[in-house]
Amino acid sequence: MGALAHYLEQERIPTTQISLIYEHTEAIKPPRALWVPFELGRPLGIPEDAPFQLRVLRPALKLLEAEQGPVLEEFPEDTPASAAGDSPEGDTWACPVNFTPSPAEETDQEKRASAFRQEAAELRPWYDLGRENRGRTAVADFDPETAAGILCDYLLDKGPMAGHTGMTPAVAIRLAAQDIKAFYFEALISRPDSDNPDSRAFADWFWGRTAAGRILRDIQAKCAGEDDEELRMTGQKFLVPMGH
Amino acid sequence: MARLSSLQEPMYSHLAELPLPRFDTTPWASGPELSKRRVAILSTAGLHRRQDRPFKAMDGDYRIIAGSSRANDLVMTHISTNFDRTGFQQDWNVVFPLDRLHDLAEEGTIGSVADYHYSFMGAADPSSMASHAKNLAGLLAGDQVDAALLVPV
Repeated sequence: MGALAHYLEQERIPTTQISLIYEHTEAIKPPRALWVPFELGRPLGIPEDAPFQLRVLRPALKLLEAEQGPVLEEFPEDTPASAAGDSPEGDTWACPVNFTPSPAEETDQEKRASAFRQEAAELRPWYDLGRENRGRTAVADFDPETAAGILCDYLLDKGPMAGHTGMTPAVAIRLAAQDIKAFYFEALISRPDSDNPDSRAFADWFWGRTAAGRILRDIQAKCAGEDDEELRMTGQKFLVPMGH
Repeated sequence: MARLSSLQEPMYSHLAELPLPRFDTTPWASGPELSKRRVAILSTAGLHRRQDRPFKAMDGDYRIIAGSSRANDLVMTHISTNFDRTGFQQDWNVVFPLDRLHDLAEEGTIGSVADYHYSFMGAADPSSMASHAKNLAGLLAGDQVDAALLVPV
């Protein structure tokens, strides 16, 4: 991010930026930056909280009136979720969704794939309702059934994957995995019995308790043995987050 | 949260060992007071219009986001799995604060909101963005933008 500021200022475009990693901004020295203490992925801090987002934006933009730089200011306020995430006493979230049978008990890949499809089918009505209510979905490329098909077909060696014209298998798998995660989250928060899980609670549930998470780890393992470098790289880096 | 010292392994080592570009000087472009500035968002979240090309590994190019875009028009295909996406899934403003910029224009804090905004994909090597950024500067100037708000992810 800081490098872009250098490039644009050299072309006479004034810049200001939000910084998420203090030490990186300190080293790159862009002209103007406001460091925020929020988790990666949330540069404005809190979803659906316009007053908080404006409290972040105003000082970031105000830096445009600084007389000299580089200037790196610190935003003084943390988000409740970030603060709880840093503390071992942070609230724990109990997901209301318990799939049956538990995917953790399946050892056969066909059965795990079947459990995954069943999960997706159970969540689909909640996803549809949520999408309708919010007027929006962050699912980008594949509807849930197509995404599940791409992932299961690859895992079970069921021939060429459908529905992704022009994409390499590695790109299709990565995008299908991203869409499945978005689908699960949007379905979950649409249920009336789900208190909004924070990002860590959702990740713990998705990677620890769903067949989808298990399938993605199986694909990660399968990619490691591929001749195709793009598939190996995808499995190694782009499917399962560090620490899961 | 994102002081390196507060992160746990393996994220700590991943970010601490990331090669960073170094610059000997810091260029400094100036402009009028904030209430007269025209502001564009430049994101590195790998955002693009739903019908646009997804980002691929290490792409240093950018996608154009029209100022008339709405939340459902925008998707994220950043390659990294190591940041939260649930915030964006709930509210695009937590990553791409276009509605908030309009709020600030309405209250007179900034002059206006640009007609076009842009997104790179931040996992790309910054040096691969340099020529694209030069091209982008011309587009921003053509849109009368005199304030680029850079938003990471």
